[in-house]
Amino acid sequence: MTEQLDRRADTTRLQILRAASRQFARKSYSLVSLDDILADAEVTKGAMYFHFRSKHALASAIIEHRAAVARASVDQLLARKLSGLETLIDITYLVAIEDIGDEIARAGLNLLESVGRTDGLQADVLGQWVTAFAAVARKAVRDGDLTKDCDPESVARLLVSMYLGLRQTSNLADPDRLLHDLEEMWVLVLPGFVKPDRVDYLNQFIKRRTAVAIKKATPL
Amino acid sequence: MVRQARSEATRRKIVTSAVELFNEIGYPATGLGDIIERAEMTKGALYYHFDSKESLATAIIEEASTRLVEAFRSITTSSAPTLESVIHGVFVVADLLSTDQIARSGTQLLRAFGEFNDAAARTYRGWVAEMTERTRQAIDEGDLRADLDPQAVGETIVGLMLGAELLASATAAGADVLARVARTWKVLLPAIVSQESLSYFDEFLARESMRHSPAPIAD
Repeated sequence: MTEQLDRRADTTRLQILRAASRQFARKSYSLVSLDDILADAEVTKGAMYFHFRSKHALASAIIEHRAAVARASVDQLLARKLSGLETLIDITYLVAIEDIGDEIARAGLNLLESVGRTDGLQADVLGQWVTAFAAVARKAVRDGDLTKDCDPESVARLLVSMYLGLRQTSNLADPDRLLHDLEEMWVLVLPGFVKPDRVDYLNQFIKRRTAVAIKKATPL
Repeated sequence: MVRQARSEATRRKIVTSAVELFNEIGYPATGLGDIIERAEMTKGALYYHFDSKESLATAIIEEASTRLVEAFRSITTSSAPTLESVIHGVFVVADLLSTDQIARSGTQLLRAFGEFNDAAARTYRGWVAEMTERTRQAIDEGDLRADLDPQAVGETIVGLMLGAELLASATAAGADVLARVARTWKVLLPAIVSQESLSYFDEFLARESMRHSPAPIAD
């Protein structure tokens, strides 16, 4: 019986998270009202306050939920056992595809930039990204794709900044443009840390990923 | 519940012992008595789960097949272009063949039984269907030549995989299956890959083979 109740509570919680994500994916934090979310989620105010004390609590929950989902999909990518650098490239394309077409992913990143900046969550989550990217970059050094003297930590920070900047300067509603912009950025930064004889192959690898991603991505 | 768990543990122990013996002295030379002795079970316990040596072999074939197909699918359902996933997936399967006892034993039994065993026949048909479908996708994506017959390519890829495994286990106890897989791909790719993609796949294969060969020096 309690198990059943727990499950129902989980379903309600997820229902509220999804409804809130629909709002936060399309509007800035300050423009979203709890009433909009309530109407969309079709739950009572009581149910909402049972799970989330405030709009801010809801926003933090979305950021954390999204971070957990992202960690799981990165683990899946790592399990494919491609080379380190190919895995890094694949991760950025995966993040882009989800940012383009998945409400929770989009909301999570939007909120990370707005509320996350002031409450420390941004530093936390991005710190985890950098750590995860740096581990893969170290593998790329061992694979022999990255130059020996490059610092995996710096490569990781560059790539995280690159994507977060891209989603501001490009257009998430236009997958074709966003993914081509991502490709151009990769092609520009690669020679900075990749061994010269690997660049041609990797440039092609990136172009091929763009083509697949454009077919896969559907905007919100 | 407890009983079920205990029964599953017994079954597992029988399968593991059989796999060990099949890998050590071969299927024909292994008697049910040897398996009972290795598993430290009674005859009754074995017959409760398997009514013959062949039904034990069938269970091993089925389990091996599930493991290999799951490993392959986990690669090919990703967002990578299909042909890249197929090549990489075959390497992952070959890797599993040299590290996973059940996968290895199941594949050898598969060969021993062939069409005389339903599970074996199903496994072969499943792989051909899978590769045929992937070939069709890779043709759509422009990496494979448009004038190819997907079924023929699917059968060829499966044949090469099985052949590489057979040669590896016949001549080097399965040790160099990865190197053989790399060599067969090298021969096959120029015959099926489209002109525009060929130089890319040359490099792709070279990188894949390098990653799967023993690392020279770890740092």
